[in-house]
Amino acid sequence: MEVVFFLLPMSLLLVGGFVALFHWSVRSGQFDDMETPAIRMLFDDEEDAKLQNRQKVEENAPNRAETAEGR
Amino acid sequence: MTMAQTARLHDDARVNARCSHCGTPVPSEELRLGDELQFCCNGCRHVYGFLRSEGLDRNYYRLRRADSRENVPATVTGRRFTDFDNDIFEKAHVETLDSGHKRTRLFLEGVHCAACVWLVERLGDEHEGVVRLRLDLPRATAEIEWNPQVTALSAIARRLDAYGYAPHAVQSGGVADLRRREERGLLVRLGVAAACAMNIMLIEVALYAGEYEGIAPHFREFFSWVSFLLCLPVVFYAALPFFSAALAGLKNRFPHMDLPISLGISSGFIYSTVSVLSGEGPIYFDSTSALVALLLAGRYVQQRSQRAAVELSERMQHAGRAEFARKRNENGTFEEVPPEALVAGDLVEVLSGDTLPADGNVVEGRSSLDASILTGESRPVRVEAGAEVVAGAVNLGGRLIVRVDAEGERTRLGRLMKLVEEASGRRAKIVATADVVSRYFVSAVLVLAALTAAIWLVRDPARAMEHVIALLVVTCPCALGLATPVAISVALARAAKTGIYIKDADVLERLRRVDRAAFDKTGTLTGGRLELVHWDGDDATARLAFAVERQSSHPLARALRSRFRALETSIPEADSVEERLGRGIEGRVERTRVALGNANYLESLGISVTEAWRSKADDLAERAWTPVFVAVDGQVCALAGFADPLRPEAKEFLEKLRKKGWALHLFSGDSPPVASTVGRLLGFGEREIRGGVSPEDKHDLVRTLKQEARKNGNRVLMIGDGVNDAAALAEADVGIAVQGGSGASIGAAHVTLTQPGLEPVAELLDGSRRTLRIIYRNLLFSLGYNLVCATLAMMGKIDPLAAAVLMPISSLTVISYGVLGRSFGTRRRAASA
Repeated sequence: MEVVFFLLPMSLLLVGGFVALFHWSVRSGQFDDMETPAIRMLFDDEEDAKLQNRQKVEENAPNRAETAEGR
Repeated sequence: MTMAQTARLHDDARVNARCSHCGTPVPSEELRLGDELQFCCNGCRHVYGFLRSEGLDRNYYRLRRADSRENVPATVTGRRFTDFDNDIFEKAHVETLDSGHKRTRLFLEGVHCAACVWLVERLGDEHEGVVRLRLDLPRATAEIEWNPQVTALSAIARRLDAYGYAPHAVQSGGVADLRRREERGLLVRLGVAAACAMNIMLIEVALYAGEYEGIAPHFREFFSWVSFLLCLPVVFYAALPFFSAALAGLKNRFPHMDLPISLGISSGFIYSTVSVLSGEGPIYFDSTSALVALLLAGRYVQQRSQRAAVELSERMQHAGRAEFARKRNENGTFEEVPPEALVAGDLVEVLSGDTLPADGNVVEGRSSLDASILTGESRPVRVEAGAEVVAGAVNLGGRLIVRVDAEGERTRLGRLMKLVEEASGRRAKIVATADVVSRYFVSAVLVLAALTAAIWLVRDPARAMEHVIALLVVTCPCALGLATPVAISVALARAAKTGIYIKDADVLERLRRVDRAAFDKTGTLTGGRLELVHWDGDDATARLAFAVERQSSHPLARALRSRFRALETSIPEADSVEERLGRGIEGRVERTRVALGNANYLESLGISVTEAWRSKADDLAERAWTPVFVAVDGQVCALAGFADPLRPEAKEFLEKLRKKGWALHLFSGDSPPVASTVGRLLGFGEREIRGGVSPEDKHDLVRTLKQEARKNGNRVLMIGDGVNDAAALAEADVGIAVQGGSGASIGAAHVTLTQPGLEPVAELLDGSRRTLRIIYRNLLFSLGYNLVCATLAMMGKIDPLAAAVLMPISSLTVISYGVLGRSFGTRRRAASA
């Protein structure tokens, strides 16, 4: 059972690490807005749609497509 | 749009047409038969076209349909937003980063769903020079970082405006930053306390097991030391706010809830520390740290739940004032500047729909102004060259050029806002029931502790300290401290969902003692919009009147047109229409001469008004309706009555309040005859009605009411909507700004309604009563619990394990009752069921 003398401090270190991470995430504003990020993640699956949109733009207005490409 | 949808549109377009942009029903006058795309307003039409030309429409509308939130039509202001590049604006709202980039926050009107987030944030990718753009949906605020060498904030703002999200400066500035820091700080404390408390509990399980099963002394010592170490950050970091608040309370000789809490925390910690150091005696680290974590959680939840209302009101606080002014430059062109940049003598252009940025004189142009926001007068005021105009009035008609006399705080509006600020600052914080309870509670606990010590010093001096500490720990008002914040935050969140934004939790308690209320008339008890409420004449005459009035933008004309909308398709053309400001209008329709106006006007045209018509008109005037005669070819053929109709529920609502024994008063800026006629209709006594009162008068009247109410320890409620009510709303114990209220009134009021009518006020009264009942029951429960525990502790029956089990049970009970108890929103549910 003497292994707890080693394990307990180790687990406390882990706790400290997580608290530090939590501290960082709060300070960087990740908990300020709890709604928008849930919506924002929906947009990432849209590469196809974006591509289609861009193609449509190219058809409609070639000069605007250039700026889109240049980005 | 699919073929089937298009076909259906053609079939019953009048009934079913929905806006192709926002999806709200299209009003009949906006319908364009045969068009595949229908729009509810020009704003939506504009945004749709713009999105299409940019190739953004497909994604946007797909996302928009997928989101079930309520839709709102788009507004496009078409402003240049050059005021956003002005130095004065930058100083107030923009910060420059080390990288040379600039950053600001803008409030975006009309942001409401996932598609909005997508569209706005896309601008960050598309617009050259925008480094970062993040939208906070619940607060509708975009944080924008841009490179000033590449683009200007005005260009970004114009783009947002074209998308239908009119941007506004965020007014709260430093206060919001401070609050955000505070909220983050509280969350970090909560995180630390929770992490430590849970680990301490794990360790304590081993210790408790050891108590019963036996434990090797070196393990016991080790575990105790570890839980001591873990408790250090809880007490010396997480619990600091309690200690400092308790100290502040002691300094002001006003002990509140934080004092018994601090007492419990510190005694538990100190005694346990002594036990650890001496190697014997009970330790309470687990109870102490769990207590801190729970209390912090309660506080955090309450803070967040109040935020929505506070932010709404801050955003609106300055909304009564103009956001920008079109100032004339040396070269004669007009440029948008912040209103603060104006000085006396400047010339400003005020277009239709604009708010006047400063007090001044009209130099050029003629129009009608809606100054109701300032004066409460429901009818528009005619102005032409030479007329004095006030900041805050809205231009309803043509373009005006105004020479500025007074700007900023020197305007009438500015002075009024100052009065509002003073009244808000003066408001004394009321003593919450929980604080009163806790004051007795502290004394009771201290007496009991002394008693315990005395008893045990006689019976068993060695164990006296242990039992006193057990008493202090176990009676630490965890439930007491949690019961109120939880019940309040749940109530505030539910109220916000039903469209009632409560800025200040004290309101719930203050409402209980209200025994008199003051009402504003225009916009509060009435709908705030002129309507044609009486028509004595035939359809043929109506058609002719419509034809003439179609060419006028006067509110009476608008009211007439909206009443006879059904006739619209068969209206002939009118020509040589001539409008006399404030008197009447005349024109030719199908070779007949049609004139509308008051008796004087018709007589000036040589038309005689018979006694019969005059007496009919007098009847209308008696009801405070505005009579307008319609003459066709020199003969009076019809009589129209215009009024700002009462809200349908107003009478019943007031009756209900009277039954409660409330004294009701009507303070209106409208003329005394109108105010008293409307007041009598609603059952007000002659002495309870005050007409023609200025905003300052309203404030003073409410103050007098307050002094009267104070004699019996009662409170005063004020309900209003205009800037002219703002000072009175702030002065009242509880000020309620009804839906559609001006920004200033929302900023000043304690409660803001976003649902129309007076129904939400009734809901507020019911809801706050139910919330208080929940709070009282919870207080009662935790007191009873503490009584039992104190008895047990005095008898020496409480050990650390019993404390660790009993404390969370009581907390859980009050939390679940606070969350599950019926407070707000029951009316809505009953109605939909």
